Amino acid sequence: MRALAALVLAGLWAAAAYALWQTRVPGGLDLPEIDLAGRIDLDVIARSKRYERFFRVEFVVAQLVLIGVLLAYARWGIRFARESAAGRIGTGMLLGMIGLALVWLSQVPFRLAEVWWDRRYDQTDAGYVETLFANWFELGAEFLFICFALVIVMALAGRFPRRWWLGAAPVFVGLATLFAFVFPYLSTTDPLDRPGLEAAARVYAKQQGIEPVRIGVEDVTDFTSAPNAYAVGFGPSKRIVLWNTLLDGRFGVGEVKVVLAHELAHHSRNHIPESIGWYALFALPGAWLIALATRRRGGMANPAAVPLSLLVIVLLNLVSLPVYNAISRHMEQEADWVALETTRDPDSAAGLFRNFTIESLNDPNPPTWSYLLFDSHPSVERRIAMAEAWRGRAK
Amino acid sequence: MSDHPIRLSVDDDLRRPRLTVFFRLLLAIPHLIWLALWSIAAILAAIAGWFAALITGCLPNGLHNFLGAYVRYATHVGGYLSLAANPYPGFKGEPGYPVDVVIPERQPQPRWKTALRLLLAIPALLLAATLGSGVGGSGGGGYSGQADGGGSNAQWFTSTGVGGVAALCAFLGWFSCLALGRMPLGLRNLGAYGIGYTAQAYAYTLLLTARYPNADPESLGPEWELPQHPIRLELSDDGHRSRLTVFFRLLLALPHLVWLTLWSVAAFLAAIANWFVALLGGQSAEPLHRFLAAYTRYDAHVTAFLFLVANPFPGFAGTRGYPVDVEIDPPQRQNRWITLFRIFLAIPALLLSAGLNVALFVAGLLGWFAALATGRMPTGLRNLGAFCVRYLAQVNAYIFVLTGAYPHASPALRPPPEPERELEAAAA
Repeated sequence: MRALAALVLAGLWAAAAYALWQTRVPGGLDLPEIDLAGRIDLDVIARSKRYERFFRVEFVVAQLVLIGVLLAYARWGIRFARESAAGRIGTGMLLGMIGLALVWLSQVPFRLAEVWWDRRYDQTDAGYVETLFANWFELGAEFLFICFALVIVMALAGRFPRRWWLGAAPVFVGLATLFAFVFPYLSTTDPLDRPGLEAAARVYAKQQGIEPVRIGVEDVTDFTSAPNAYAVGFGPSKRIVLWNTLLDGRFGVGEVKVVLAHELAHHSRNHIPESIGWYALFALPGAWLIALATRRRGGMANPAAVPLSLLVIVLLNLVSLPVYNAISRHMEQEADWVALETTRDPDSAAGLFRNFTIESLNDPNPPTWSYLLFDSHPSVERRIAMAEAWRGRAK
Repeated sequence: MSDHPIRLSVDDDLRRPRLTVFFRLLLAIPHLIWLALWSIAAILAAIAGWFAALITGCLPNGLHNFLGAYVRYATHVGGYLSLAANPYPGFKGEPGYPVDVVIPERQPQPRWKTALRLLLAIPALLLAATLGSGVGGSGGGGYSGQADGGGSNAQWFTSTGVGGVAALCAFLGWFSCLALGRMPLGLRNLGAYGIGYTAQAYAYTLLLTARYPNADPESLGPEWELPQHPIRLELSDDGHRSRLTVFFRLLLALPHLVWLTLWSVAAFLAAIANWFVALLGGQSAEPLHRFLAAYTRYDAHVTAFLFLVANPFPGFAGTRGYPVDVEIDPPQRQNRWITLFRIFLAIPALLLSAGLNVALFVAGLLGWFAALATGRMPTGLRNLGAFCVRYLAQVNAYIFVLTGAYPHASPALRPPPEPERELEAAAA
C-alpha cells in the first residue's frame, strides 16, 4: 500500500514536472557555432575568464568552509541550549539564529574577498566596512524568517512527530507564494522616465498577450556598476525592475528594449508562478528528507535537531543547485526566445549579450562543469547563438 | 558596601524651603560662575598633574588637594542644583556638605594607566553624562561648569535634557518640593547616585584615584532606602555572558521585539479594560491582572536580554524563572481617585523612565564591549541595568493599573526583606 502511494506520488510529481518544463523554444533548435573572437575582443574574453575563475574557486572554498562550520555546529551546537531560558520552540529558535550567525561569520572573509576582486576589476566602488555593515538589515530579516520557519516546523513536529513535513511543505509553499506576490510592494523604485521605452514596453506586452506591466528603476550605483533587470510579482503585483546601470548610456536603446521584452516574457510565460510550482515540487521531498535526517536527534520537535537540520538544508541546497540552475536556464532561454520573437531584432539581442561580457565580465563560454553547476542563465555564447538561430529561422 | 576610594555620603533630611527651591537656579549663579573659573584652573592643574604622575608615579600633594577640593565642590554644587541637598554650599569645597564625596589620600598609580587616562575615562564620562553629571567642565559631560559663565543656566538644561537622569530628578523634584516642601526620597537618592558616579568619573579623569568608577547602585554611596513595593526585582544572574550571543544580541532579540510589539497591542487594550474594572470595582480583575503581569514580566525579560543585563534567551510567555525577573503581587485594592487620574499621574514616572532608558542603552552599549572582551558583564553596569529594568517594570505596572503604588526611583535593586517574609522564607 505504501509502495503504491509512493508510486502514485512519484507519477504525479513527474507529470507536474513535465507540465512545468514546457517551453516556447522550438524543439530541436540547433544553435549555430559562434566565432566569439570575431565579436568580442580577445583581451576582454581573457579578462572575463580570469575574473570569473576567481569566483568559482571562491565559491567552492566558501561552501567547504560553510559545510565544515555547520558540521561542527551540528555536532556541538546543542551546547548553546544552555544559553536559553525559553521553552522547546524558543530554544530551537535561538539555535537556528546562532547557526545563521555562524554561517554569516564564516562567510565574512569570502564576502570581503569578493569585494576586493570586484574592485580590482572595476565592478564596484563599495568599501570593505560598508560591505560588512550593508547587509545587517537583510541579516535581521533572515533571523526573523528562520524563527518563523522554526515556529511552524517545531509546532507541527510537536503535534505530528513523524508526519510534520506533510503539513509544513504546503505552509512554506503558501508563504513563498505570499512573498512572491508582496515583494514588489516592499521595494522602492523610481519611475522609468523614458517615454520611448515605456511605449515599447506597452507594445511588447500586447504582442505577448498580457496587460502592460509597471516598470521601475532601481539605483544600484552605490554597490555595483554591473547592469541587470528582473521581473517580480504576479497578478496585480507584476513589476519589471531595471537597474539604473542599464540606462547610463552604455547600452543602446535597442538593447534595452530587448531587456524589456525579455523581462515581459517572464511574466507572459508565467515564470514566477512556475518557479513557485517547482519550489512546491522540491519542498515536499526536501521536508521529508529533513524529517528523516533529524529522527536520530529526536525529530524536529526537539531543539537538539535544529543544528543538524541547518546542515541538511545547506547540503540539500547544494545538491539541488545544478537542478535549480538547469530549470532557471530553461526559463531564461524561453524568455530570450520570446524576446527575439517580440522585438525581431537579433542584432540588438546579440549586442546586448556581447555587452554583458564587456561590461559585467561574464565569461562567454565557461567550462561545462561550472556552467552546469553554477550558471542560472545561458552562457553569452549560447545566447548569441540563439539570436543567430532565430535570425536563420526568420529568413 | 563599596570599597571604592571615592565614596559618596548622603546626610540629608529631605526638607526643602519652598523659597530657595523656587529660585534655586538663580541662587546657584554665583556657584556656577565660580565653578566655571575653577574648572579652567582644574584642567590646567590636571595637565600638570598628568606629567608629574607620569614621571613620579604619583600626583603631587598640592595638586591632589586642589583637585580633590574641586571635585568635592562640584559635587556640592551638583547636589544643590539637582535638589539632592538643601543648604547653600560653601565656595571652598570643604567636607561636610549633606551630599559629599570622600577623597582618599594620594596613592601611587600605575604609569601606563596614567598615560592612557583620558582614553580610559571615555566610557565612564559617557555614562556620567547620561546619569546627569553633577559636576562641571573637565569631562565634557557636565551641565554646570561650561566655560561661558553667564550662559551656564541655559546650558544646564540643554546639555542634560537628553538622558540626564540627575537633571530629570531635579526637574521633577522642583515641582514636588514646591508642592510638599520635601524632596521625594527616590528622586533625591537617584539624583545623588548620578552625582556620586559623576564624582567618581571625574576623580578618575583628574588622577585622584586609579580605581575605575563603579556604576553599581548597590555599592555607590550609602545603602539606598527602598520601601516595600508590589513589583519587585529578582536577580539571580551570575554575570557570565556567551560572546557569540553577545555579538549578535540585537539580531537575536529581533523575534522577541516583534512578539513584544504584537503583545503590546493586546496589552494596551487589556490595560484600558483593566482601568475601567479598577475604577468601578476598586481593584483590577484577576484574568486581566494575570495577562498584564505576564506582559510586564516579558517586557522586563526582553529588556534585560537586549541590554545584556541577563544572558539566556528568554521565553515568549513571560513566565517566572528568568535570571532578571520581576515578582508581581496579586491584585489589591486601589484608590479610585488615583485610578481615575492614573495616566496623568504617571507622566513624571514616564519622563524619568525615558531618562533611565538612555542610561540603560549606554550601560548596554558599554557592557557589550566589555562582555565581548571578557565574557562577563561588569557587575556595576549589570546592576545599573537591573535597577533600570526594575523601575521600568514598576512604571508599566502602574500604567496598567496592576498596582496603585507609585514607581520608586531609589537606585536600589531590592527592598530589605520584611520580617514576615523573612520568617516565611526561613520556615520554607
